[in-house]
Amino acid sequence: MATIAVPLGGQQERQEIEAVRRPALGEYLRWSVDHKIIGVQYGVTALLFFLVGGAMAMAIRLELLTPNLDVMISGAAYNSMFTMHGTIMIFLFIIPMWAAYGNFVVPLQLGAKDMAFPWLNAFAYWLIPPAGVVMLLGYFVSPAEAGWTSYPPLSTLFSGDGQTLWALGAHLLGLSSIFGSINFIVTILNMRPPEMTIWRMPLLCWAVLATSIIAVMATPFLAGALTLLLLDRMTGTTFFDAGGGGDVLLWQNIFWFYSHPAVYIMVLPGMGVLSEVLSIHSRKPVFGYRMVGLSSMAIAIVGFTVWAHHMFTSLQPELRIPFMITSMIIAVPTGIKMFSWLGTIWGGKIRFTSAMLFALGFMSMFVIGGITGVMLAALPFDIHVHDTYFVVSHFHFVLFGGSVFAIYAALYHWFPKVTGRMMNERLGRIHFLFTYFGFLITFFPMHIVGMLGMPRRVAVYDPAFTDMNRLISFAAFVLGFSTFIVFYNIIHSYFRGPVAGANPWRALTLEWATTSPPPVTNFEDDPIPYEDPYGYGTEAASAYLDAVDQAFNGRRPASAGGH
Amino acid sequence: MAGVLLRRVDTEPCNLKHSERFREPIMTTYVERAQKQKTRDRRAAEMRLKNNRLGMNIFQISWIMAFVALVVVNWQLRFSYSQWPPAGIAPYDPLLPSVGTLALLFSSLLVHRGLKNLRASRVSAFISAWRLAIALGLIFMAIIVYEFFSVSDAAMSTQYGVTFRLMTGFHFVHALVILGIMIRVYQHGDAGKYSADEHGSWAVEGAARLWYFVTVAWMLFYVVLYWIR
Repeated sequence: MATIAVPLGGQQERQEIEAVRRPALGEYLRWSVDHKIIGVQYGVTALLFFLVGGAMAMAIRLELLTPNLDVMISGAAYNSMFTMHGTIMIFLFIIPMWAAYGNFVVPLQLGAKDMAFPWLNAFAYWLIPPAGVVMLLGYFVSPAEAGWTSYPPLSTLFSGDGQTLWALGAHLLGLSSIFGSINFIVTILNMRPPEMTIWRMPLLCWAVLATSIIAVMATPFLAGALTLLLLDRMTGTTFFDAGGGGDVLLWQNIFWFYSHPAVYIMVLPGMGVLSEVLSIHSRKPVFGYRMVGLSSMAIAIVGFTVWAHHMFTSLQPELRIPFMITSMIIAVPTGIKMFSWLGTIWGGKIRFTSAMLFALGFMSMFVIGGITGVMLAALPFDIHVHDTYFVVSHFHFVLFGGSVFAIYAALYHWFPKVTGRMMNERLGRIHFLFTYFGFLITFFPMHIVGMLGMPRRVAVYDPAFTDMNRLISFAAFVLGFSTFIVFYNIIHSYFRGPVAGANPWRALTLEWATTSPPPVTNFEDDPIPYEDPYGYGTEAASAYLDAVDQAFNGRRPASAGGH
Repeated sequence: MAGVLLRRVDTEPCNLKHSERFREPIMTTYVERAQKQKTRDRRAAEMRLKNNRLGMNIFQISWIMAFVALVVVNWQLRFSYSQWPPAGIAPYDPLLPSVGTLALLFSSLLVHRGLKNLRASRVSAFISAWRLAIALGLIFMAIIVYEFFSVSDAAMSTQYGVTFRLMTGFHFVHALVILGIMIRVYQHGDAGKYSADEHGSWAVEGAARLWYFVTVAWMLFYVVLYWIR
């Protein structure tokens, strides 16, 4: 293999190191128990579903360009479109995408050779493609049209067989999520090196731990709810039909008992990514490390007590105030994180890399999403804007402005480790600009149309909202276009990107103390973590980083190239 | 310059090893390498056992939530009726299921004793305890099947009967699969495939833990279905 000139981050001179062998394409297409392969499998699958879900979003915005029904055949077609958009983005993009980063990065950060249960890990991944296929097939059979929340009686009496397939697919995805999470918890608790106490663990691991605890505790409720839905649809039971002694609120309770914590499943790993990226790219220790770790746990625990705020309009009045209080309490640990991030970048030597830009984008967007979240938690306001575009705007600010921005930040940050190549920074910045402004102009005006009373989930709306919706749609197309930039960047950089070297960001966590991509067993020996995962800015830290650089550049001398 | 920095690192015992390791390969003899490999294998086996146990615990805590979800279903549907069981429907007779519950509890106890016997190298005691445990488990399941099919049509027209069949059926499927695992473990045990140490008996321990899970899940349902009205 030829030797390639490498720019090492933080160092001005270019050094020569040997390019590390990457797994062949075939290894990604078949069963593999290597957590790095599985991580990439998760990631690529999720990104493909991101394209599908994104195309659906574009179709939705195309329909909403005018107040009339003109693109879709019927209102039902529109319903099934946004149903599949939501389902795919949540169950098949964001959740598997975090499993991708978790799988690839967490064992490396812990200095482990693999996950605790490699076979179970592969099995959890291979449940996802069939589940996705089943769901998409459902769309072509006779689509589900009850929204991703699938409230009965819409999902029992009105939707077609696609709803049954939807429930089956969601069942498989739930199982996958449980198996993956068991794996994460065991790996994180058991497989740390002896030098790494739980208080020296990287914050991504803390976040994945909290996420996994939520997933194992909440997902069985989804399984219960889906089982009842399947029985109601297929065997004629009446769990959700008041005519047969059932209760429609039963679904809402059980579903949201899973799905509200699932919101934190979708954003907590992103918060972990933020702590990593902000600290590394501003060369400063994380501000209040313990509080950040504990606030992840606090969000996980309090997240179980807030589900009924989704049902404010249908809940018994005496239960509303307690759920309003718990919902607002969630803002406290989230605020701790936000202030910690501000404290981390405050006075830091910020490098505006693409990863850092997206991390900063997350901070600004998530604050907006968080504040509208507190507004929605306030009962009187929630009843006013219930089921309007204000809600749509809120959850896109936390799920796109939050999760997806963090997914992009993580992509730019760990891509060099995964593939051994740097991503193109110029394209990354262009991508950021398109995403940031496309996103802001798409979703911020939705607050306004929501306050003015435009209901969500309608294809035909009051012509008074036309101008605003035009603006939103055009911005959405810009946002959709931005996806192509990052996909081009991924493919281009995979083949043509400059070789990254072991530690291009000069980061202290263990995943950077091995080659990029790491060898099959990750580390040649049991690695010893640096005493503080975020102890940037000290002489000891830069000496350690120099030693790592030297080890991976000097270990295999350039003269060894050519074999 | 790098040398100066590296010497500073050397003041940290952790980092000393780290930089030393990467700097040059350490020369070792064959015996030393074999010894190291042995230590590594032992550590890996210990780690596997530790992981298996923790993983099983987490699975149990996780999957019991599915049973709790069904309890919540049962509980919420009660509020659709003014009384529970609904008017005109006879409540289930707890006598026979109580016998089944006792059988299950004894079965679980025997499974525990069987595992203890295996750990103490009393293989024949382990085998006979498991044989009896499986027989008691079969009695329990037969009783549940009988209960499942003896729900009256009148009860089935209300949620009282439907949730009963939902819960017992859901539990039955789990009991069936896990009893299958128990039988397989029994066969392997009969063939002498397990050893007394913790690594060699993990399959037995795993099956036992799953059977405890079945027992705990049933106790939850038993109380909710028969005793809370």
